[in-house]
Formats: sequence, structure tokens, C-alpha cells
Amino acid sequence: MKPPRFDYVAAGTVAEAVAALADAEDARVLAGGQSLVPLMNLRLARPSLLVDVNGVAALSGFEVRNGTLRFGAMCRHRFLETDPDVRERAPIVAETAGLIGHVHIRNRGTLGGSIAHADPVAELPALLVALGGQVVASSTAGERTIPAAELFEGPFTTSLEPSELLSAVEIPAHRQGDGGAFSEFVLRHGDFATAGVAVILHRDGSGTCDALRVAGCGLGPTPVDLSAAGEFLLGESALGSGAAEELGSRVAAAAEPTGDVHGSAKYRRELAAVLAADAVRRAWARAGSSDWSGRG
Amino acid sequence: MTAVAPPQAPPEPTTGVRRREDTRFLCGQGEYLGDVQRPDLKHIAILRSPLAHARIRDVDVSGALTLPGVIGAFTGAELAADTGTFSHHLEAIPTLRQLTWSVLATDKVRFVGEPVAAVVADSRYIAEDALELIEVDYEELPAVNDAEAALQADAPQLYEDWGDNVFLYIPGAHGDTEAAFEAADGVLTERFTHHRIIGLPMEGHGAMGEFDPATGRLEMYVSTQIPHQLRTVVSEITGLSETKIRIVAPDMGGGFGNKIHMFREEVLVAVLAMRVRHPVVWRQDRTESLTASVHSRQQTHKVEVAYRNDGRVLGLRADIIADVGSPELYILGSGPAIVTTAIIPNCYDLQDYAFELRCVATNKAHMGGYRGYGQGQAVFLIERVLDLLGEKLGIDPVTMRRVNMIPDGQRPYITATGAVLDCGSFHDQLTDLLEAADYDGACRERDEAREEDRLVGVGLAQMVEATAPNIHALAGQFGGYEMAMLAVQPDGKVTVVVGTKSQGQSHETVFAKVAADELGISPDDVTVSDGDTGVLPYGTGTWGSRSAVMGGGAIIKAARQVREKMVAIAAGLLDAPADQITVSDGFFRLGEAAIPFAQIAAAAYLHTFLLPPGMDPGLSVIVGYDSFSTSPFPDERGKLNVSPTYATAAAAAVVEVDRATGVVSVKDLTILHDCGTVMDRVVLDGQIHGAVMQAVGQTFLEELHYDENGQPLTTTLLDYTIPTFGDVVEPKIVHRETPSDLIGGYRGAGEGAIIVTPVALAAAVHDALKPLGVPITQANLSPPRLRDLLRGHSAA
Repeated sequence: MKPPRFDYVAAGTVAEAVAALADAEDARVLAGGQSLVPLMNLRLARPSLLVDVNGVAALSGFEVRNGTLRFGAMCRHRFLETDPDVRERAPIVAETAGLIGHVHIRNRGTLGGSIAHADPVAELPALLVALGGQVVASSTAGERTIPAAELFEGPFTTSLEPSELLSAVEIPAHRQGDGGAFSEFVLRHGDFATAGVAVILHRDGSGTCDALRVAGCGLGPTPVDLSAAGEFLLGESALGSGAAEELGSRVAAAAEPTGDVHGSAKYRRELAAVLAADAVRRAWARAGSSDWSGRG
Repeated sequence: MTAVAPPQAPPEPTTGVRRREDTRFLCGQGEYLGDVQRPDLKHIAILRSPLAHARIRDVDVSGALTLPGVIGAFTGAELAADTGTFSHHLEAIPTLRQLTWSVLATDKVRFVGEPVAAVVADSRYIAEDALELIEVDYEELPAVNDAEAALQADAPQLYEDWGDNVFLYIPGAHGDTEAAFEAADGVLTERFTHHRIIGLPMEGHGAMGEFDPATGRLEMYVSTQIPHQLRTVVSEITGLSETKIRIVAPDMGGGFGNKIHMFREEVLVAVLAMRVRHPVVWRQDRTESLTASVHSRQQTHKVEVAYRNDGRVLGLRADIIADVGSPELYILGSGPAIVTTAIIPNCYDLQDYAFELRCVATNKAHMGGYRGYGQGQAVFLIERVLDLLGEKLGIDPVTMRRVNMIPDGQRPYITATGAVLDCGSFHDQLTDLLEAADYDGACRERDEAREEDRLVGVGLAQMVEATAPNIHALAGQFGGYEMAMLAVQPDGKVTVVVGTKSQGQSHETVFAKVAADELGISPDDVTVSDGDTGVLPYGTGTWGSRSAVMGGGAIIKAARQVREKMVAIAAGLLDAPADQITVSDGFFRLGEAAIPFAQIAAAAYLHTFLLPPGMDPGLSVIVGYDSFSTSPFPDERGKLNVSPTYATAAAAAVVEVDRATGVVSVKDLTILHDCGTVMDRVVLDGQIHGAVMQAVGQTFLEELHYDENGQPLTTTLLDYTIPTFGDVVEPKIVHRETPSDLIGGYRGAGEGAIIVTPVALAAAVHDALKPLGVPITQANLSPPRLRDLLRGHSAA
């Protein structure tokens, strides 16, 4: 369980990183290394070059731009989970980051790394879809943005070019009336989710739901957008009796999970129903609460 | 001789550091295999079959030899030319297919992960790179990954000369089952399944070997539960005399039965050390441990039960199929399945019992030992039968057990299969369990929960465990005795060496106390070591809940012999008859006169002029200890008493099932445990905690998967989900202490809780699902598997 030979370069700037990516074939970006390094040890990933971006200061932190939160790709999960500012401005990001792995993993793993890795059972790619966010891809040719809907192409496959560095992640900033929840099923604390469902909704001043998005992990070959399953709740001012279960049924029907050692496709659909119902209940309550901070 | 001091009552659990191993282990100062270094150490990597079943046409290692840093690359055929072969050493069993196999595969591979070639290189990195340069020409063959499929007439044949895939067939008929079935009011038919799991030590297998051509000596460090037996096998295969081989088992990160088997890879290390003339090491990585070590448990039982309407089981027939994977494993990997057949009567008066056992070879990794060793499946069968039969007859679980229990007072009780049970009262034990678990209260709370439409259930189970067994019938040349060396050193401190290798069982702590109690000194003055064939002539290792019984017994026997000599010396110095000398608190006493223990030691080694005339100097013995009460092989009626004593345990579990997700929460678990004399309560409770955790893992979390082509799907700890600290179930533990008649009064501990807990949990889940009418007849109750069951029932 040792990796084959590879070259290594520690980039100091985004420019250095993308230059290195442009020059090499089969280069991979080393962020937190929590997925890539085990895959290399198993010889399932065989990059010729690792471009280490841990020393690129510009990839850290986050800022607010015109109602959008822009996170540096190297934001660690643990930072997202615990930073008071993130918890205030993006409580659903903090909640979701806290679901990932164990503390040791969250101390190393990164937002950009998780999204670029595109594991269909990972939480943050599904959250990005639910939030309708986008990523910034940097290369020697400059920057482009890729909406979440166009990013995930298959298991561990994105529309990023090999020469591109996922440098930032952008999501809408939290507004009054927003509510979100990420519910997942794990066999053991710290595992990848067998299935997970994120519900992001907005209720206007009168409490009426005017936006609702749903996405899932473990429910398809990519993080899947299940928002259509929730359209029946738009215009509703209360989550009526059976409404959460109805969403669960619709999400389960819309999901296209496959089976693996952690659960059959049927089992994942059943979980999706339970999780969607739980997530919409929590999101709905949070959207109606004046001080949701991600802790509730 | 003075009277032996009565054993002290077991101390209550205390807090704080009190195990002498703790500081070393917890501060990173242990010496595990990975810590064994040599200046010129080379690393072995093993090329393993990517196919489940294939003929090897050719192996070409020449590419590997071109890589800088590679010392050597070896094929199975090359090594087989001048090394011996493994066998099961069980020519005495006519219905066992006789096999021999080499350190690497030569003609055929029969599971993904079977070793095919080996590289020795400067580092493991280079060695693994070199593996990719080895070319193997395989002729792929159809694979069979399921025992019942392997029994079909058209199934692929693992060994063409067999004509089928049945590696071992054992029938047994005890009493008169035909008469029992004729007399029965009815017959219950059930099918039980046990899924494939693995006893997974935190530290994998591995070995370091260093050969000195000048002396012809081979020194090995091996993470093994049985260093002495491994030495015998290394001797057989390398041709070296056992006098030229020293095997040390260093500190170990667990064994759990996985390391009672002699691995091809371990002997390969010896062979390569002699070839390359560098010290070489192989350290199993996690994928190797999951795919190419020792799996366990997988069995299917079809059972017919003749019963009377009052709940009495009159007779039982069991058809047992064990999926043993590749049978090329020594000691015999089918051993646990044989043990299953012997234990099925459990603590019940069931004399009319027949079985058929078929151990079926499949294209999967070896089946073999794991804590519990086949006994859990047996107990699962009989305990589930009693509950299912009770449900059918409208008789509660407690009554079902009492009606069938071995009566009090009839000791020894000889079971249908020949086990000579020396246990205490099973009725009293059950009474104690019900009280400790507040069984009636738990049932009331369950009933209230049902009113609220919650799925809460209560389950009971009991077990008898064959401890400290004689394994001649499973391992041919190895039995079940033990050896110990005890030396009082010139300074009055005591060295104890024992053949039971500790893998984390705190032997250094508990055996020091055992020796100290016999010698009338403080445990602080006793140093215990194990696992070095260079120090003790032989030993039988640690497995089968045997270390207290056999290792402890050997130490007591040795200590008594040394003490007798010390008393004789003291008697000479005090000019008194030996039988008037007493020993306590570090002194040999006669009335008011007292001679310090150390002074007797000094006389024996230094001031030998003080010794009684004609007495040899020195204070050391090496003893062998056998109970003389076990049999090596079954008698002509197929009856076998395998153990010198039997431990017992019982469990009560309360669970709640979440019907939507299939998650089972263990609300309460009570373990009643009788291992005879308790050496150390804290250490013992630690054994039970660990066993419960593994029981929780095998019931709710763990399963090894293969696809239809025999490719393993659980190759990392992402996919093979062992319990973590988030999954801990803390049992309430109650001890009964019924001493055995053996030296020390021990019955053996370590496995009882993993044998009895899974079926108690299964019974509780069954009870929880009773309103839905979903019977539990499988050991695997993981959330997805439980959902599969619930989905099959419309009410769920």
C-alpha cells in the first residue's frame, strides 16, 4: 500500500500552481489529501505530478461580494464548521462541514478538494448543488466560473479541465427567511453518508415558501438535484400534515441510487425518504426563525 | 510442605494505572513488529492473484529484477524446488481431502489475493513498484463464491481430482434421533445463516527474518499467537532444525484467532531470509489483511427439531454448510465449523442429536479462527430454536430454557458429543441473570413501548464454552498443554516465562500476581515474559480462552515446585522440619523466626554452603502442564471431550429498532460470566467489553462482500466497517465464580461474551419485531439487512 513514483511541486501562488498544471500530464492538485493520498497508496490514482497548494495564501478565507460568499478552495472543513463568521453568514455550510469524517479529517480536508474530487457520497458537492452555487476554475488562460449544475459529470468526474485549479467556491449569502438543513445517514459516526439530503428553502415575510431546492448525496452517480420533487411546497405558508413525508416520497422516487456494500439502491431510496422529510422539517422551522445560526 | 494460601478474593475494579503494560503501550514505547529494525533491513512485497480462479501458465519476474533497488524476485515454482510444503497434518481424518501447498502458488490460484510471486527490495515502495513489472500468464477459470452454489453438480471445481468441492465431510449421530422424532408432538424446521466477517487485529500479520550463514541460525520476529508451533512449521518447510530457529513474537496489536494460523507469508519470510542473506521484513497492509488473511463465521444451518408440546426438545438434526474459502491454511481453517457441531447441545439436556457437516471450498480467502471459534454459531442455533419453538408453543423464553436445561446436581454431565461438563448450576445462573438484568422490568417496559408503537424487544441467551481445548483433532501435531519456566534470581526477584503469548491480554500483570501469590511475595518482584522460543522449550500459545487455565496452571505448578525447594532450604537454616515452615509477605517463617525470601535466593546461588547437604544449587524449573482430561481424537462413537473445563455465560439484551432505517439501538445489555476463579477483575471486565464490542460489530456493522466473479468488495476500512468508539455498547457485567477442579480453579475467559452476545441481540431484535411478525434467523442485523427483512413484510 505504497504509491508509485510521482513528482512534487509546492506552489506559492495560484499562478505557480496553474503553470505547473499546464506543464504536466496527469498532474493532480494536492489540497487536504484526505481522499487523494489513500487512492495513491492503493495505486488507484497515479498522478505523475502533485501540485501542492497548501502554501497558497490566496486560496484561504472567504469574503462577501455582492450578496455572494466566495470561499477560498483551501478552506478546511474544520474552519467552515467552527468559524463564527461562517456560522453567521453560511450556517448550512457550517452544519454540513461538521458532518464530514472525524475532527482529524476535517482539520486537513478542504472545501475545494472535496468538490473537485466529486465523490458521489460526499456532502459538500451535494450542498453546492442544493445552494445553486458555482466554482471558480483558474488556469493559465484566466478564470471561469462553472455552475454546480454543470460541474459534476459522473463519479469522481467533473467538467474541470486537467489544467484547471478549482480556486474558489461561491454560494449565495444567507438572507433573512433562508432555512436549510443537511440530513444524512451514516452507519458509523464519521463515515461517508450512505445517503444524504440537503434542503434549502426561503420563506418570505409572510412565511410563504418562495424558493426550495433539494439535493442528495449517495443517491446517484453524482450529487443529484432533486428540487423538482419539492415544487409542490412553493407557495405554501405551512408545512402541512404529511407534507414532509410527501417530499420524502417524491425525493425517493426521483433519486437514482445504485447499490454497493453500504446499501442497496432500494435501501438508499428508503433512506432518502426519511432524510428528505427530516431535512425539510428542520429547514422549514429554521426559515421561520429569526436567529438561525446553524446551531439550531 | 506448608499449606497453600487460599486464593485472595478478586479485587473490585479500581481506577488509575494498574496494568504494568499500560505505560509502555499508551506512551508509544511498545515494540511491535513495525518497530523491529535492522541496519540492512530489506522489504518484501507480494504479488497476489487478481483473479479468483485461474491456472498459472507462466510467471516472469525478469522485469522486476531490472528495477534499481530490487534484491530479488521469486516465483512459486522457483521456491518450491527446494522448500518443503504445508499440510494439515490430519491424515487421521479419512473424510478430509489431503492437501499440500507451497509458500507461493505454483499451478493454480483459488482466490483473489493468493500469493503468486515475491519481491525483495530496499524499500516497500520499490518492492511494490517491482510487482508491477512481473508478468503472470493466467488461464482464467470460472469461479464460485458461494458454498451452496459450489455444491451444485455443475459448479466450477477448485480441485479437479476431488470431483466436488467438499473439502471436509463429518457426519455425527448421537443417541437415537429417529426415536426422538417418532416420539415428538411436532417438528420445527428452520434455516439459520451466518455472514462472512473477519477477526481483524489492529496490527496485521507480519514477520522479520534474519539468517546468519556463519552459525546457520534463523531469527524471526513474527506477530503470531503461537510462536512455538510456527517454529515447528518453519523447521518442516525450511529444513532447518528447531535448534537453529528462534522465533520471537514481540508486542502485538491483537490477534483474535486470525494469528493462530501459520501463514504462507510468514514462512516465505524465512525462506527469503535464507536466500537473499539480508534481514527481510513483510508487513501485511490493510488490504492484504482484509482480502488475504483469515475470514470467519460463514455458515448455513438447516435444522429439524423434534419437540414435545411442553417445550421439551427431544431430538435435533442439523445440516451445516461452512464456506471455508481456500482450504490451504494451517492450522485447519475448518476447525471452527467442527467446533460448531460439538457445541450445539450447549447447556441443554439434548442427547439425541445428529448432524452433517460439509466444509465447502470456494474461491474466497481462507476461513479460519476468530474469537468464539465456531461456538457462537452453535449457540445461535440452539438459542434461536428455543425462542422460535417457544413462540410457536406459546411458552416464554425463560420457561423454554428451564424445561430443557441440564439439571442441577448431575456433574460431570456428559453431553451428546462427549463434552464432560464440570459447570455449576445453569438454573441458578439464569436466575442471577434475570435478576441482574431486571428481566421482568425490561419485559414490562417493552410492553409499554409496544403500546406506543415502538419496536422494543428483550432477548436472552446462554452458553457453555469449551475452553483451553486440546486441538489434536484440528491441528494434528499440536495438543493443548502448556509450559512455564520460573526462576528465583540471586537477588530474590522472580522471572516467569510462559508459552501463552499475550496479544493485549495483560498477561504480564495477571501472571505476576499468580506467581507472587504462590511464592508469598509481591507481584512487583515478578517479571513475566512470553513469546520467545529461545527462552522456553515449547508452548501452545494464546487462543481458546486457554491462557489462565493452562498458562496460569503451569505457572502455579512451577511456583509450587520452587517454593518447595525454598522451604527445604529455610528448614535447613532454621533447623526445623519443612512442614512447620510457613511462607508469607516475603518471609519463610517458623514461629517468631523469619528468613527473607531474598536470603533463601542468595543461599541457592551465592552462599551455596548454606544449602542442605546434597542439594543442587539454583532455584529454577521448567514445567510442562497438562490436565490429562482431554482426548486427542474422537472415540469410536464420535465422542470427544476436547476441554479440561468449561466456562459459562449468559446475556440479556434490550434493543429498539427504528423501522424506517433498520438501525438497532442497544438499550441495555447484561452479561453474566462464570470463568471460575477470577484472576483480575479489571482485566477480565476489559476482555468482556472488547468481546461485546466485536459482537456488536459482527451483528450490526461488519460483512465481507465478494462479487459474483469472486472479487472482494471490502478491501479497505471504508468498506469493512468495524465498530468505532461511537458504537460502544457498555454492558453491565456480573460475575459468578465457580472454580474448576484444575490448578488455580480457572475456567478460561475471553470468548464467552462474543459467543453469547450476538444471539442475545438477535433474540431481542426478534422480540422487537414480534408485532410485525418478522422472524430473525440470521446473524447479520445491519441496518440495510434488517430493512431487507422488514421490506419483505407488508406490515413493515
